[in-house]
Amino acid sequence: MQPILDGLTLSPWEPGLFSLAIYGLMVLGLVSLLLFFASWLGEKKSNPEKLRPYESGIIPTGSARLRYPVPFFLVAIFFLIFDVEAAYIFSWAISYDSLGWAGWLQISFFIFVLLLGLLYIWKKGGLEWGPTSKQD
Amino acid sequence: MTNLIDPLHMKNMLWLIPCLPLAGAVINGLLGKRLPVRLVHFVGCASVFLAFLISVAGFFTLLGIEEPHQRFLIQPLYQWILTVWHQGSFSLQVAFRLDPLSITLCLVVTGVGFLIHLYSVGYMAGDESQARYFAYLNLFTFSMLLLVLADNLLLMFVGWEGVGLCSYLLIGFWFTDLEKAQAGMKAFIVNRVGDFGFFVGLMLLFWTLFEGSNGTITGLGFQQLRESIPLLNSASPILGVGLATWIGLLFFVGATGKSAQIPLYIWLPDAMAGPTPVSAFIHAATMVTAGVYMIVRLNFLYVIAPAAMAVVAVVGGVTAFYAATIALTQNDIKRVLAYSTISQLGYMFLAVGVAAFSTGIFHLVTHAFFKALLFLGAGSVIHAVHSNDMLEMGGLKKYMPHTYLTFMAAYLAISGIPPFSGFVSKDEILWATFNSHLPVAGLGKALWALGLLTAGLTAFYMTRLVALTFMGGFRGGLEKEKHLHESPSVMTFPLMALAVLSVVGGVIGLPAVTHLPNLLHDFLGPVLSSHGASGHQAHAYWLELLLMLISIGVATTGIYLGWLFYVKRPELPGKVAARFAKMYQVLEQKYYVDEIYQALFVRPLLKLVALSGRFDLNTIDGAVNLSSRVTAKFSFLIGWEDLKIVDGAVNGLAEIFKRWGAALRHLQTGKIQHYLYSVVLGIFGLCVFMFLF
Amino acid sequence: MIPENFIQSNLQGISFIGPELILTLAILLILLVGVLLPYWRHRILFTILAVAGLAGSVLPLWKLPQPAPDLTYLSNLFVWDWLTFLSKPFFAVVGVLTILLTQVTGEIDNSEYSECTILVLAVTMGMMLLVASTDLLMIYLAFETMGILSYLLVGIRARDERSGEAALKYVLYGAFTSGTMLFGFSLLFGLAGSTDLLAISQKVAFASQHPQDRLLLIVAILFFLAGLLFKTASFPFHFWCPDVYEGAPTPITAFLSVGPKAAGFVLFIRLFYPLFATGHDATIYEAVSGLDWPSILALVSAITMTLGNLAAIHQNNLKRLLAYSSIAHAGYLLMGIVSLSDLGLRSVVFYLVVYLFMNVGAFAVVAMVASAGGSEEIDSYRGLGARAPYVCVAMAIFLFSLIGLPPFAGFVGKVYLFAAVIYKKIYWLAVVAALNTVISLYYYLRIVKAMFLEKPTETIQIQVPLSSRVLLLALLVPTLGLGIYWQPLARVVSGMF
Repeated sequence: MQPILDGLTLSPWEPGLFSLAIYGLMVLGLVSLLLFFASWLGEKKSNPEKLRPYESGIIPTGSARLRYPVPFFLVAIFFLIFDVEAAYIFSWAISYDSLGWAGWLQISFFIFVLLLGLLYIWKKGGLEWGPTSKQD
Repeated sequence: MTNLIDPLHMKNMLWLIPCLPLAGAVINGLLGKRLPVRLVHFVGCASVFLAFLISVAGFFTLLGIEEPHQRFLIQPLYQWILTVWHQGSFSLQVAFRLDPLSITLCLVVTGVGFLIHLYSVGYMAGDESQARYFAYLNLFTFSMLLLVLADNLLLMFVGWEGVGLCSYLLIGFWFTDLEKAQAGMKAFIVNRVGDFGFFVGLMLLFWTLFEGSNGTITGLGFQQLRESIPLLNSASPILGVGLATWIGLLFFVGATGKSAQIPLYIWLPDAMAGPTPVSAFIHAATMVTAGVYMIVRLNFLYVIAPAAMAVVAVVGGVTAFYAATIALTQNDIKRVLAYSTISQLGYMFLAVGVAAFSTGIFHLVTHAFFKALLFLGAGSVIHAVHSNDMLEMGGLKKYMPHTYLTFMAAYLAISGIPPFSGFVSKDEILWATFNSHLPVAGLGKALWALGLLTAGLTAFYMTRLVALTFMGGFRGGLEKEKHLHESPSVMTFPLMALAVLSVVGGVIGLPAVTHLPNLLHDFLGPVLSSHGASGHQAHAYWLELLLMLISIGVATTGIYLGWLFYVKRPELPGKVAARFAKMYQVLEQKYYVDEIYQALFVRPLLKLVALSGRFDLNTIDGAVNLSSRVTAKFSFLIGWEDLKIVDGAVNGLAEIFKRWGAALRHLQTGKIQHYLYSVVLGIFGLCVFMFLF
Repeated sequence: MIPENFIQSNLQGISFIGPELILTLAILLILLVGVLLPYWRHRILFTILAVAGLAGSVLPLWKLPQPAPDLTYLSNLFVWDWLTFLSKPFFAVVGVLTILLTQVTGEIDNSEYSECTILVLAVTMGMMLLVASTDLLMIYLAFETMGILSYLLVGIRARDERSGEAALKYVLYGAFTSGTMLFGFSLLFGLAGSTDLLAISQKVAFASQHPQDRLLLIVAILFFLAGLLFKTASFPFHFWCPDVYEGAPTPITAFLSVGPKAAGFVLFIRLFYPLFATGHDATIYEAVSGLDWPSILALVSAITMTLGNLAAIHQNNLKRLLAYSSIAHAGYLLMGIVSLSDLGLRSVVFYLVVYLFMNVGAFAVVAMVASAGGSEEIDSYRGLGARAPYVCVAMAIFLFSLIGLPPFAGFVGKVYLFAAVIYKKIYWLAVVAALNTVISLYYYLRIVKAMFLEKPTETIQIQVPLSSRVLLLALLVPTLGLGIYWQPLARVVSGMF
């Protein structure tokens, strides 16, 4: 890739360093002070009622940690992958004229690979949502 | 002479010489258990025999080259190491070099090697791991040929190490016997000491040449070393001693290890624990000569280091004498031969020490013949008697006529009776020593006298051996006498072949007094820097003849005394031993050198080994009582308790590592949130480090 | 409007990604076959397709022009230099070995096998793209292609809890560190206004003169390090390594320990050498002034190898042990990066090649023993030498090579790495590495000792099929061969830098 900027035109950064350090220290100090006071002054008595998750006054039923079905993640990832590939196809489409047949061949190959990937997912049972997915 | 084989073809075939035995080793090693025994034998022998045939072809190819200085073939196989830097480059090739020196050794290794392989077929019959045996033997042949044919020092070092490894494997061949396994270990460790010297020498040589040539040296090939060796003279000496001398001495340390010279000879007698053909092949004919070969190969280095040469000569001469004295009293037939080997190797070093390089090689060759024969003969005897102890032998002449006759040929050769091969080569060494120009005046004459005395001792102890083994009556008991038998022909054939060689082997290096050409000397000439004694001396034929007569006289006296002591009047040895009881004791106990080494080196070493063994054992114990150890540490810091420092240091170190390891294990909690904290901490830590430094 | 020649040059540049395209086609084919023949039980078909795809992917390399350091293509996203050229076959070999290992060990179920091969191919493709990228965005895309797919690979055994746990740890750790690295990229982009490494490197040399920009650069470097050290499993981002390696199927572990790790080191070379180092008479580099990243990396290297080796001592699970060993090796490899010279870079690449064979070899043995009825615990290796000599000798050779003993390839590789640091006169690091080698001797030899010197505790007969033996042989040959005859590889490597 070609250089974007020429020369070293970054602004000096040391002047900011001192104030950054002061700021950082102040934040650290404040946070630790608050935490310290909270744990020092606060009453510490725990009972089941207190430990129960707060759900706007409604008594919770069961765990909040639901297990999503695995296919959900699979499909999400498949979507991500195939979606991103569209970016390449757009960029080809924009410069379609100047890329010519060679470009067409290349993008065809690209799409072919994507199709092969889809076929693979399909055959492997990646798109099957339910307990009857293939075991081998 | 017309060229039978195109040198180019020969050059491309060089790699086959070492690689055929290697292939044999691989086949026998990997598939041996599944192959029929006959096929194992065939693979083992045939691979070496083919290598021998190619060596013969190589020999004639070299002879076919008219100009002696062109008589070398180099086959580069591949680039091994290549390092390039801004000033220059360093490259080493895996390349084989065939020249008069290496072909001589090749012929000995493959020729004698083949005969011994053949002999082993009979000797090892019935052993259950013959495939392993032949695989090792072939592997050894490969390593030795690699050592001999290597075109550069580093490749030679690979062969050098390989030879040591195979020796270890073969000495400990019957590893279920603890003593034999220990003998193998001893050989390995002692050789390591020598190899260290070799390696340091190699490093020092390379470094000096590298510095001396301003980094333009590009390899360690022998031709290149030979050309750049004068650079050593310009290097500044260390501790007042020239670098050439240092390097020469370091290489010689390596040679004393491999060739069993003082002070590293102790492994060789113990090496007799291996099967007898192994003793014949490795510990008499080939591997132990590697040191001699190496010094002759580096002759260009030694001629500019006269001090190192003198050390070589003195060590050689003293070893020759010293080992011969021990051989006088040993009763184990193989041990006598082992000490005799050390003694004969001493002769070879004496020869190369006085710059008679070709003579050293000459003795190496004849010694390979007659010593292999002696060992194989001894093996044949052991095969029949099932004992190594000469006191349980005797009178074997009539049971084993072939063994006896061939043994006699070797006996006369080693004793120095003309015209047997041993006489010719040994006498040439003595003559060269007498004529030498060593830096110390009179040293040459003294070494000559020592050598002469050794010759007498040799004749004496060999007569003793022959008399105790073959003469008189059998002392092993009636039961054993019934089973005495001549060995099978697969064992006696190699004996006969070696016997012929022992008798006539001398013709390749006839003394100047015969006015016939010294073939070996002329053949080796181009490889050697300085021509040996007989080459440049104005020949005083009468003197040479006189010395020759003296040495014959000494040898005959030795034989006569031996005959007198052990055949004519068998009560004499006991009397003499009683008279000189102290001296006899010292000799019989081999000057207590093993005991001294035991106390000085082996025991502390074993202690260290035991400590590092504990390194492994006390995982749990050690972790618990660290606190007590801290106290103990304080106590020995104050009291310096014996050796506990080493103990504590080794254990302590192991402890520390283990504790850290255990602590680190706790870091690895397995919880991902901790790991993620560690990432944050890691980045933060790196930031801190980066800003701080 | 887009200029015509821009499109033309891009279309031409496509030929340079031929290997990746062929891999893509292979992936699609396997996907199709896997979907259309769902009850196909013969894994061999997928194996053949995948290996053919990987083998085919290196074919275009012979048709392409000679690599050159400044030959970029596809709008400067990639560079066609020797490192790219030679890395592609390297990763193809990694992929082939992994797939063959998966085939012979049978650790992956039939129902998951086609996906497994697809993922291996896809990760390989990601690694191939990564080593060629010279643009921050492309680097990140390739890095994540490699990363995300390898998370999936780790969790490929969907019904195995350990595998799932390992995958989850890997994902979280990886997301965290690669996010950090992306933050570093954005800082650098903000500074230089470009994502092209060459353009950035010019800005960096200039920016490092200014204290305020230098601060930004330092933070950027540290954030880069988070991603790179994670991929190469180095301290302090190594924690995932033992857990993931242990949980993943063994062939995948072998794959991760050489593939992404090698890619990480190549990325090190790609990022740090043009950006934060300046060439100096073409063989030696210098860190950009004011940014002393080599010294921090040297420290990381020393700690990584020490920590890996020390922690390995106590492991009884071989996969975990080899995981720590792989951490330690990351430390050794960092030595080459630290040394800031061509010699160092060469030694890194050389060692990576050597490491590929010996490490995959060691994991292969672990996988084979486990699948032949043993387990991954060291106990089941006791006395194995007598029952399965071939496999155990192979294991011993791989371990000796990992220690770095001659005459095995690991020795030569280590010599080059040591030479690189010593050449740069970082002696303390060389000493630490040497000490570490000694420590490593302890736990590697523990396995060898268990195999050959200890009495067996179980009597299961280990039967290793012929296909596994052939694969082991294919790994043994380079492990031994490169120890004796390494010159061709050394020459190839020295042509790279």
